[in-house]
Amino acid sequence: MIQSHRTTIDPVVLEIISHELQSIPDQVEADLTRTAFSPLIYEYKDYAVGLIDAQGRSIALARQGGPGFVVNLIGLGAREAMARHGDTLKPGDVIITNNPATIGHHLNDVVMCAPIFDQGGRIAAFMGIIAHWIDIGGRYPNSCSGTDTTEIFQEGLRLNSVHLRRQGRPVAEVYSIIEANSRMPEALLGDVEAQLAGCMKGAGLYAELMARHGAETLTGAVAEIWQRSASEARAAVAAIPDGSYAMECFLDNDGVTLDQTIPIRVAVHISGSRFTVDFSKMSPQVPGPFNSGRYGGGEACARIAFKYLISPSSAANEGSFAPLEVILPARTLLSAEVPAPLGRYSVPLPTVIDCIIGAMAKAMPDRCAAGHHASFGSYGFFGQHPDTGAFFTFFDTVHGGWGATASGDGIGPYKTMLHGDNRDIPIEVQEALYPVQIESYAWRPDSAGPGRHRGGLGTIKSYLVTAPCTAQFAFERYGCPPWGLFGGQSGTPGWVEVERKDARRGVLLKESELPMAAGDRLHVFAGGGGGYGASETRNRNAVQADLDSGLITEEHARNAYGFGR
Amino acid sequence: MPTFVAVDTGGTFTDLVALNPKSGALRYTKTLTTHDNPIDGILTCVDKAGISLADASVFKHGTTLVINTLLERSGPNIALVTTAGFRDVIELGRGGRTEPFNLTFRREPPLVARSHRFELVERMNADGTSQIAPIREATAALATQIAEFAVEAVAISFLNAYRNPSHERQVSAWLREMMPGCYITCATDLSRQWNEYERTVTAAANAYAGPKAGHYFASLSQSLAKRAFNGDLYLMSSSGGVLSAAQASAAPVLLVESGPVGGCIGASVFAERLGLKKIIAFDMGGTTAKCSLVEEGRFAIDSTYYIGGYGRGMPIRAPVLDIVEIGAGGGSIAWVDNQGGLHVGPQSAGSMPGPVAYGRGGTQPTVTDANLLLSRINAANFQGGEMTLDLDGSQAAMSAMAIKLGYDGRDGVTVLASGILAIANIAMVGAIKRITVERGKDPRAFVLFAYGGGGPLHGADLARSLNIPTVIIPPEPGNFSAIGMLLAHLRRDAGRTFVRCVDEHLLTAMEEVFAHMEGELRNDVFGEFNDVDVVFERHAELRFVGQSHAVKIDITGVSDLADLRVRFNEHYVARFGHVNERGATEVIALHSVASARIPRPDIAQLARKIEARPEATARRSTFFASLGRAVDTAVYSRWNLPLGWSGRGPAVIEEYGSTTIVGPYDDFEIGQLGEITIHIDRRAGKQDAVT
Repeated sequence: MIQSHRTTIDPVVLEIISHELQSIPDQVEADLTRTAFSPLIYEYKDYAVGLIDAQGRSIALARQGGPGFVVNLIGLGAREAMARHGDTLKPGDVIITNNPATIGHHLNDVVMCAPIFDQGGRIAAFMGIIAHWIDIGGRYPNSCSGTDTTEIFQEGLRLNSVHLRRQGRPVAEVYSIIEANSRMPEALLGDVEAQLAGCMKGAGLYAELMARHGAETLTGAVAEIWQRSASEARAAVAAIPDGSYAMECFLDNDGVTLDQTIPIRVAVHISGSRFTVDFSKMSPQVPGPFNSGRYGGGEACARIAFKYLISPSSAANEGSFAPLEVILPARTLLSAEVPAPLGRYSVPLPTVIDCIIGAMAKAMPDRCAAGHHASFGSYGFFGQHPDTGAFFTFFDTVHGGWGATASGDGIGPYKTMLHGDNRDIPIEVQEALYPVQIESYAWRPDSAGPGRHRGGLGTIKSYLVTAPCTAQFAFERYGCPPWGLFGGQSGTPGWVEVERKDARRGVLLKESELPMAAGDRLHVFAGGGGGYGASETRNRNAVQADLDSGLITEEHARNAYGFGR
Repeated sequence: MPTFVAVDTGGTFTDLVALNPKSGALRYTKTLTTHDNPIDGILTCVDKAGISLADASVFKHGTTLVINTLLERSGPNIALVTTAGFRDVIELGRGGRTEPFNLTFRREPPLVARSHRFELVERMNADGTSQIAPIREATAALATQIAEFAVEAVAISFLNAYRNPSHERQVSAWLREMMPGCYITCATDLSRQWNEYERTVTAAANAYAGPKAGHYFASLSQSLAKRAFNGDLYLMSSSGGVLSAAQASAAPVLLVESGPVGGCIGASVFAERLGLKKIIAFDMGGTTAKCSLVEEGRFAIDSTYYIGGYGRGMPIRAPVLDIVEIGAGGGSIAWVDNQGGLHVGPQSAGSMPGPVAYGRGGTQPTVTDANLLLSRINAANFQGGEMTLDLDGSQAAMSAMAIKLGYDGRDGVTVLASGILAIANIAMVGAIKRITVERGKDPRAFVLFAYGGGGPLHGADLARSLNIPTVIIPPEPGNFSAIGMLLAHLRRDAGRTFVRCVDEHLLTAMEEVFAHMEGELRNDVFGEFNDVDVVFERHAELRFVGQSHAVKIDITGVSDLADLRVRFNEHYVARFGHVNERGATEVIALHSVASARIPRPDIAQLARKIEARPEATARRSTFFASLGRAVDTAVYSRWNLPLGWSGRGPAVIEEYGSTTIVGPYDDFEIGQLGEITIHIDRRAGKQDAVT
């Protein structure tokens, strides 16, 4: 491709506008994370803040939201708002939607967007935020945490592009419906307020920017930024050998039919600068709540895997995914339709991403990693706090090992590939706020998949419950543990064990309501990552070092590495 | 009256300022930092200044020794003792990946390897009651085990010790007894706030830096004593005050940002004298630009600091001035990506090879090259003429890049150079917005106080972009950190996690904690100083019940709950623009700041004696972005301009180590403290800085 360095837009103006555009969602994000009430927003970063153009394309996305949001869900929300309300949208209107047919996430994820008008009274852009609402009704506390719901109607309130504000005025009926349908209305309305303030602030900042540069210059700059990202991405794909690359793995079950695994089959077709992710052999949608919709599911997995493989360090925009095509039939696990339950929609996604990366290992051995623990491993407790009598819920997800790569041992402990800068909840904070005592938090020896480079290790966290309460958890990848690559071996999967006065029970994977008595213990095991390359070729000093620091036992060193015989 | 001396040892230069308040004799010297033994550089500066330390009453010192030890991992072998079950906490961390799509993302490795981490059976409950007390025999066995590793320091960090440090204190007392000569540090001596990971890292960092820092402070004392210094030696802490050498040796983590804080103190003293309630202290050097806020003479303190940066660094709990720092400085490199996009920084050419103009082998154009080619700095008079700049080299490098980008001809160099400045400026504007707008402050209500080598060059343009009406350039902007140190008082910060709903018993409970913290500060920290008058400030972190982030408010003098609520609401609205006025709130932490004044010079003496010849020393054609072209501009020598003198831009004001640029139609004057005040022209403010 012949390209002139001389572009129609001045390089200085372009660089300045790209700084200014990026600073809008970043400023909004700084406020959102500091005013939010839900740990899912301030700690778990389960939100995205974005500027969207009038066609619903993403102009700029705040930097810290999770990787799951490289799919332009805010844009989908904005398009739905346009489709439903079109010309009737007015300045000061704010629309909210969690329509599963559009977003494809659990109902807690609500897009809020505010149209921004140009001087001619036309919609120039939208400022939007998608954020996880802490509880919007349904069968289980938190709405989305059950592992055995069978219809979307058990998972909370649906809001299909309704007005939260009309011309700047709150729509009281909608607030009233939201309030009446949440177990935690006060925290939720606090978050809605933070989300709203963010949309208003961002809309104002974009209007200022339009006034400064003119709408046309801005649009031109944005188009140029997309075009450049697109050609960079195409060049990267063109460097991959043409061919079809496939991989298959499976998930343990859908939480309803416990003895039936869910097959995950993916293929990637590389042809020139086209990168096609083919889900035509994906499992059909399942009765339990592990389905996701087309955009929140299949499209998201394809985009995230594409980022990991092709452009890990640059910011994603509309152009970054130009080479990517997705083949995704209707009504699969990743393209489910109403009324399929979506509560735990995100659980399969890290495995699907892992599988796409694994499929590409033959084509890109230096850019891929062996399997990671890939299990949210969400676990927690709810009940009545013994000191205050108030209802409490505590939830976190595990940190486990990631797969080894051509360049070194697996990394971790981190959450999954669907997570980003998500920190865990400190032990001291948990002990101060909830009736639990944590007895240890440590590396899990021997959990890493052996290999020339071994996987990252898993962890073990042990809880002693000090008051009666209910435990809930969901683990995955027990049957199909994190795989090795190029002769590397699998890591050990994660699970939960329950220790009561008289007995210890494990391996447990999914429970929606497990009663716990004071004095019972819950041991949470996070899995280790897969190895890369044959274990016999591992550097002997590295094996010795792992042995010396207790990351592997002598038995494991002998069996996995033939060490010390 | 004896002399005050301050020395700032930085990454490149060691700066000294000395003032004899009686004679008004003032000395500024600068020498290259001697990294092997920084004391050599300090003594060179003393010699160069020609001062006698026998006459000095106070010697204040800022050092990068602590942060460098931690960044370069040049500390000794150390051990860590934790509660049984938790030795891995320091390595497991909190699991955030700041590079979300990187399959090989790793943080800096922990300061203590697993083999050197030991567990002791003991348990404190979350409410501060002891569940299992530590046993002396077990501790003795551990001491024997640790001794086999020949460690120089031991860090102790126990779970829930923030609620009750008695187990940590007991074990540290035993280990001191059992391991004489070993540096022992316990986490709760450094932080009394929850979060076991951050507190453990703090203890480990302190143990890691402790032996080297202690040795350094001791040899500095001895070297000064050999020069007959008989006064007080103070070290600059990161929270804006000085510490004694003994305190700094016990808690070197308090010195992680020992250098940059100096300029901020200087800025606050100037602001106070000039009656300015709100200023942005802006420091632009060779590799980075830093900004912080001084409001009503005070600056905000953050209690978490990332050694090595947020991305991959490790957090410690130590009070550090709230600073936003970005990779934009004179050495920031301009580069073109493979899509033809132009960027500036964050990579810097540093001082070696430095900008192309330095003629030390640099080939990529930098911000300094751009300033030179636009005649904003003077090739013949850089660093007071100590260094000649290679104008042709700059020109050639800039021209090559201009052609690559399609900016043709001689004009192309000017367009590109001004573009590079505009891009560097937008990054610095972004940093100032982060410290203001993102903290709920309106930059237009502030004065921009600019120093460092590059601050005076860029200050007026930044202010114009942000609609800040006034810029102030202090005397000696290139030495301003050392000047600030000269002005620092004693200060120590303390904090406690204190989780409690706001109810009628709150104030009594808070009073008890504050009284305890203040008592400890008064006795343990300020006890070693004679005749100092300790003043306390009180701050509280409050939030709505259920939130995670809290806002820190000054509650000094609050006497009832209504007053507390009013302050919270005001602060919250200012910060976030909205507040639920009746929503239930809770307190999450209490902070106490103790300070005591020590003798310091009058800043009016810091301005050099003026040889009043207020005419331009030269004229040259200088480029101004606000006009989009070069215009004939008067060039002044700063120390020819008398107090009270005023003029109108465009103007270039040169001095040793820095150049001030005054834009067209900006008015400027020389104030009573020798400062240059620039009043930004509002008409120009409405123009786009780029075009």
